[in-house]
Order: sequence, then structure tokens, then C-alpha cells
Amino acid sequence: MSILLRNIIRFVLLLLLQVFVLNKILVHQLVSLELYMLFILLLPFNIPRPALMLLGLLMGLSLDMFMNTMGIHAFACVFMAYLRPFIINILSPQGGFETNMKTPSMISMGISQFLIYISILVFLHHLALFTLEVFGFGNIGYLLLKILLSTVASLVLIVLYELLFFSRK
Amino acid sequence: MRNLVIFLRRYFNFFLFLLLEVICIVLVFRNNNFQRTAYLNSANSLSGKLYDHYNNVQYYFHLKATNDSLVSENARLHNMLRSSFDSMVTNDIVRTDTIRQNGSDSAQLAAGPATRRYLYREAKVINNSINRSVNYITIHRGRLQGIRPNMGVIGPSGVVGMVRSVSDNYAVVLSLLAKGSGSSSSNFGVSARLQKGKEIGTVYWDGADPAYAMMKDIPRTIRLQKGDTIVTSGFSALFPENLPIGYIDTFSLADKSSTSYTIRVKLATNFYNLQYVYVIDNLLKDEQKQLEDSTYRLIK
Repeated sequence: MSILLRNIIRFVLLLLLQVFVLNKILVHQLVSLELYMLFILLLPFNIPRPALMLLGLLMGLSLDMFMNTMGIHAFACVFMAYLRPFIINILSPQGGFETNMKTPSMISMGISQFLIYISILVFLHHLALFTLEVFGFGNIGYLLLKILLSTVASLVLIVLYELLFFSRK
Repeated sequence: MRNLVIFLRRYFNFFLFLLLEVICIVLVFRNNNFQRTAYLNSANSLSGKLYDHYNNVQYYFHLKATNDSLVSENARLHNMLRSSFDSMVTNDIVRTDTIRQNGSDSAQLAAGPATRRYLYREAKVINNSINRSVNYITIHRGRLQGIRPNMGVIGPSGVVGMVRSVSDNYAVVLSLLAKGSGSSSSNFGVSARLQKGKEIGTVYWDGADPAYAMMKDIPRTIRLQKGDTIVTSGFSALFPENLPIGYIDTFSLADKSSTSYTIRVKLATNFYNLQYVYVIDNLLKDEQKQLEDSTYRLIK
């Protein structure tokens, strides 16, 4: 399967999963399950940065359309897409990741590197998302707790997703 | 000039980033306008249809609960019918309990040629969220079926919210579960009153639990009891009076010197499984508004 087709399918799949499954699950007021930003995290390493940000905007706006939160998810998604190359640069070994591995995954990056990569970016995404949603630092304890717990929930979901759609390549 | 071009090209990514974020922020804040057109939200045809298909499946699993709530609503309405009361009075002045209970509306109906003031339209809920800080409900009825923004929405057992925006066949309802940003005064509050003492207050959601809301502005001189009913006041043009909002769960004074209670209200509507709602059209709203506006102009 070509990379393009695979990413288009992933886009639709993650969007539907987020809207019709994860948004319907109520765990706790402090935990909101977010998985859709995995689309940005799994885009190929060599994608140009403007394209990365525009795809982030597209993904965010599509989700906002379903959730009536115009612009909030788009903001967080673009924010995360902008910071992604920096994090990859920091984490990549000398000479970059193996050239035959085109997309970030547990295999191409190594499990620990991959976990650090997704934790940092998911945390930054949630930071932007919930700060904008709550809008104001009036209840900063609530906000921080929500960010942290939701980040943990998202990480668990991402790891599960990765294990489910394991690509042996 | 050349330097400027080089500068722009060098930081192109950063400027693109800023541009996109500014677009998002503008969208967020424009969205806060109360009156806005429906496009790019869940009332548009694509997401509306998808939610519709989803609800067709999901609705089946809630049939039992939906039936129960509709039956209990029917029973409640039957109990309010005039024929359920035994009136010993034989003269033509009707004095039954329902009249006292339901205020001017049914008195008007009993008195003779009545003008219809509120028109109820039923609508199917096709999407509902309760775990965000501002929650929306999408319903399958829109402009073509007579839904307009700023209409009140109630469920089988109590107040639900107000219509925010409409498309041809769908509408998005701002749920009562909407926590305003910043100070509590900017919340979506429903004008409410105690059924017993008639004191006026405001019910708003504090963002904590979808089953409970808060009520403020009830003076401390009132004697409250757990389980007292809180109903709509009829002051706003959204809802007729005497619709249940909730029941008092706990109440307390913030400190010794505070003059009003902080009341925790158990909401009458169960937002967890909402399947049908009624959209209330206040037919006399425009007339009232026109009269008020022209009076203000006279004073000026």
C-alpha cells in the first residue's frame, strides 16, 4: 500500500473512531479520550513542514466540524504539527533514523524513543487544547489535572492502536 | 527588498505557523458570537447525515429507556389534565387545582377564545455530548421545519437548552451543560424560581457533573428544603413558566456574612440518555420585542 493511500485511510479511520466511538465514552469529567492527533504523529519523517501544518489544520477543522468546537482542535493540532520536527530532531540519532523506515513507529524509532516522542507531543497538544477550551487559568489545578490525566489516557490508546495495527515491515 | 525576501523565506515555516494559528483563534472567537450562521458545524449536511446514520443504530439500544421516559411524561401530563380533578363547583368560574398550578396559560384557555403563545415541535436527538466544558446537542429538525435560533428546548422531564444555529434539516442546541469561560456571569444561565416560595434565581452549570447544576441569587431569609422543585420563571422569552429544571440537592451559605445561598441542583433532565426533545416556539416573542423596542425609542 502506498504511503499516501495509507495516510488517507488513517485520516478517515481516526476521524470516525474519534467522533463515533471515543467521544461517546464517558470515563470521567477530567479524562477526555483523544486519539485523532495520532494522524499527525504518524506522518512520514520527510514530509515538508508547511504540508505538515496544513494537514494539521485540516484534521483539526474536520474534528471541530463534528464537535461544534470551531477552531479549538485545529489550534492544538497546528501547534503540535509545528513542533513535531523539533522533537524529531532532538530525538533522532546521529545521521537520522534508518532511511528505509519512512514513518515514525515503535520499530523505526525504538520503543523508548517512540514513547518519548508521542508523550511530549501529546502533552503539548493537550496543553494547547484544554487551555483554549477552559480559557482562563482561574481553576489551574483542574486544568493541569485534566491535561495530565487525558495525556495518560491518550498514550494508552496510542500504544493500543500501535499494537493492533502492527506493521511488520 | 532582497533582504526582506530572504528573511521571509528563511522564516517561512514560522510565519505560516503564526498565520494558521491566527486563523484558528479568529474561528474560535467568532464562534462565540451568539448569532451565527450554520456552516462548518455539526448542523451541516455531511456531519448531520453521518450523525443521523449513527443514531439509527444507537437508538435501538436505548428504546427501553426512551419508552420509559415518554410513558412517565405522559403520566405527568395526564395528571395535569383538568378532567383528572374533581371539581364540585357548578358555576361557570372554573376553580380547579390545575389552574392554580399552571398559572395564566390554562386559565386563559379555560376562560374562552385563547391565543396560542407557545408552539411545541418534537425533534429527534442525533448527537449529544456531556463530557466537554461546553456541550452541544444536534437535533434532526431545521429551518425548513420551523426551527430558528434562540428557541428554548426541553426534554421529557425538564429543561435542556436553547437552539444555537440551524441549517435546512438540522439544528445545534447549546446544552444547559455549558460552562461559560471566565467569570460565572458569562454562563448560559436559565432564569429559574422556587416552585414553593416563588423566589427568582439563575441556574447555571459549573462544569463538574452532568447530573448537577448550581443555583444562585436565592436570599438567605428563605427556608429551603432538600428536594424542593426548581422551575422556569417565565421571565425570559425562551421557556414558559413552571417547567421543571431540577430539585434541590444540597444548599449552603458561602460564609456567615453572605446574603444568598449556594444551591446544588439535581437536574430534572437526564442528559445521559436524551432521545427526544421539544423545541418551543414563542409565537408572541416578536410582538413583545417590538412593543418594548418602540417604548424605549419613545423614552429616548
